[in-house]
Amino acid sequence: MSFQLIIDILIATVPLLVIFPSLFAFTTWMERKALARIQNRIGPNKIGVPCTRVSLFGLGQPAADGIKMIFKEDIVPRGADKLFHLLAPILALIPAMLILCFLPLEFPWGKFMSGKVQAFMLDSAVIFFFAITGLNTLAIFMAGWASRNKYSLLGGMRAVAQMVSYEIPLVLSAVIVVMMVGSLNAKEIADAQSGFNWFVFSPWGLAAFIVFFIAALAETNRSPFDLPEAESEIIAGYFTEYSGFKFALFFLGEYIAMFAISGLAVTLFLGAGDGPFVDAAPWMPAMWFIAKIFGLIAVMIWLRGTLPRLRVDQLMAFAWKFLLPLSIFNILLAGLSYFALDARVANTTDDVIHYVNSGNPFAGVPELGTNEALMGAMIYRGMAGEQNPMAAKKWFLKAALKGHPASRTLVAWWLGIWVLSLVALYVMAKGLNNLSRSTTKPREYLYAE
Amino acid sequence: MSILGGGIFKGMAVTLRNFVGSYFYKERLITNDYDWRPEDKLPQSIGEYPKEEGEQLRDTTTVNHYSRNFPMLLHDGGEPMDTVRCVACQICERECPPQCIYIEKSEDKTERSDNKAQFYPAKFDIDVSVCMSCQICVEVCPFDAIVMNSQFELSTPDRFGGLLVRRDDLLKSNDYYHKIHPQEAATRDQKMVADKAAKEAKKKAAAEKAKAAAEVKAKAAAEAKAKEEGE
Amino acid sequence: MTQEITFWVLAVIAVLGALVAVRRRNLIHGVFALMIFFAALAGLFLLLMAEFIAAVQILVYIGAVGILLLFAIMLTERVTGDDARDITSRGSFWGWAAALAVLVFLLLPAIQGADLSQTAQPINPSVKALGHQMMDPYVVTLEVLALLLTAALIGAVAASQGGEKKKEDTDDA
Repeated sequence: MSFQLIIDILIATVPLLVIFPSLFAFTTWMERKALARIQNRIGPNKIGVPCTRVSLFGLGQPAADGIKMIFKEDIVPRGADKLFHLLAPILALIPAMLILCFLPLEFPWGKFMSGKVQAFMLDSAVIFFFAITGLNTLAIFMAGWASRNKYSLLGGMRAVAQMVSYEIPLVLSAVIVVMMVGSLNAKEIADAQSGFNWFVFSPWGLAAFIVFFIAALAETNRSPFDLPEAESEIIAGYFTEYSGFKFALFFLGEYIAMFAISGLAVTLFLGAGDGPFVDAAPWMPAMWFIAKIFGLIAVMIWLRGTLPRLRVDQLMAFAWKFLLPLSIFNILLAGLSYFALDARVANTTDDVIHYVNSGNPFAGVPELGTNEALMGAMIYRGMAGEQNPMAAKKWFLKAALKGHPASRTLVAWWLGIWVLSLVALYVMAKGLNNLSRSTTKPREYLYAE
Repeated sequence: MSILGGGIFKGMAVTLRNFVGSYFYKERLITNDYDWRPEDKLPQSIGEYPKEEGEQLRDTTTVNHYSRNFPMLLHDGGEPMDTVRCVACQICERECPPQCIYIEKSEDKTERSDNKAQFYPAKFDIDVSVCMSCQICVEVCPFDAIVMNSQFELSTPDRFGGLLVRRDDLLKSNDYYHKIHPQEAATRDQKMVADKAAKEAKKKAAAEKAKAAAEVKAKAAAEAKAKEEGE
Repeated sequence: MTQEITFWVLAVIAVLGALVAVRRRNLIHGVFALMIFFAALAGLFLLLMAEFIAAVQILVYIGAVGILLLFAIMLTERVTGDDARDITSRGSFWGWAAALAVLVFLLLPAIQGADLSQTAQPINPSVKALGHQMMDPYVVTLEVLALLLTAALIGAVAASQGGEKKKEDTDDA
């Protein structure tokens, strides 16, 4: 193992260990501030530069909280399983940190591999991501069980039930992207979306993104799915018996998991490091990636300030009767629309190439945009370098804009398929919503027995 | 037919309006900004908090007058123990859900303003670390002797003795109560006056009734006597 | 060299995890020890460059089977797991003897008889190749397995529903 390789590994992993925990600190401040403002309060605004009265909008609050957490007494209940009580927060943090490595986040300071390094490039990164996210469930169960407290155990059980249920729609909506790209490699998925070919801009991608985001909220126990730590019902759920530094570790793990799962959403649907001026500087992709993660986190905070908590039966009905059928339907629809569109593109390609072959196209008045259409056809057939249906579609779009008749038909088909899929998805969602509504009223539900 | 998920967006619009509005319209803010304490010295116990009324009020006028934090004992001015309203009936001690009140009844009685001898609390301790600010003690008190204070800076480095508030630190004057919770204090005083008037009227009526009954009795006795004499 | 060290570390963790899983009387401890064993096994798969198998090992065995076991234990009366003792049994001598006999008379000859140089054929471990394998030569197996699992799922639902119905019937009668 060469020295250069070790340096590269450090360059790829240390930023993850530095950036995300500091983002965590900033996010706690942002969340407290935003929630306060949503409730017409002021929020933390006193602690800024140490030993002075300079407050800087309370930006020093996370540091003060951290110091408080470290010096707080670490209380272990007498009846608790001491080993598991200690292991649970560690087990909650490690998988969360680990899955950050699978994100296609490239740092431009490496020397060993063409100047850009990624922490861990795996052929099956996406499936690894889901596998290791599942370990979080275990940590939460461990915490709930080891505390030897009824509220903790209830919280732990709720968390396990919720995370197991919502993992299915989460994975099924990610499957669509894997299906479209034909790879589980996060880097390839990111590359397939370069040049604003973000998957969220297609009907199936939009639906999958929404399902993914909702399931991600539930998976990270964020409001309105924060039943495992519902303070009005079960004190603090599996956190109840944790204080001091162990609690801080749990907190950190939860936020890192939020970052990681937002990072996966960005990778799968929001074009990873793609964005305007992405070629301006080598660090732009990483910047865009983190900015998008932050945008998703902001929406999560906004939702937390807006929505009340779900009831347990509503939670389960929503996962199994709404999200799951919708995501399965979405997979079918995505496949159908993909093949329908692909058949049209193949047809158009045949037409263009036939037109070119059937005589000298430049003899008479050539059709407008023939060059662009020909380019698209060649790229689609793989005659100009690698086969790339995405780029081919772009060239056909250009041809259609210039007035090429065959390409115009193609674009009309394209739009038609998209509008139809959107309508189908909406109708399906609406129907499922009506079907999955819990018909039991709260009172009947309580006195059912 | 409503749009799917439209309710969520409507709610998000409301919270966004609150978020942005709170930066531009000061009257939206329901809490007041906290001022730094003038000195950084921490008191060793809650009893050591500045006893001067102005300094105490700084604490409590920082917060809105709806704020209720921790109980206090009321007296009607002057020397606290002479005019204390509490008669150590121990109802609040029994009703307190987390059992954070400890009262010891006095052996002797003292003269009160209405010239009536009453017991007084020899000890009256409340544990801040246990109290949950539920205000049930205020609800059950028949003498309006315990009400809620809004003093909130109760931190101390001594977590055992420092968090136990003694009787003398709990005693606050009715004037102070009027300053921190003007509306509630005025209502309570009115109610007390009305109660007292009603009680006195009742007493008067009872006395008159007793007098009338005595007169009737005396009359009957006189009549009986006359009859006896007549026979 | 590093590979060998990693192998031995993972192997020892796996064996210890399995032993603890078998011997603990505390069921929850046993399940978590079993999960350590699964994780070590996933590490061994990673060492063999079979990353997909490793991911599936974690996903299925730790993520699904482990949680299922925990749920099953939660439904029993031994949730609290106060028992800190290990399982002891009188017949342990014969158990050890049987295990040793299997190792010496079946496994060792099989390992010695195997031509290890032949198994080191280079295979394409990528996900794409695996997918092609699954969808080409083994597609029938895959479909049969899928059918079996679906049947099991429907059977489970039917079994639970049927029981309830019967109970209602008896209530009516």
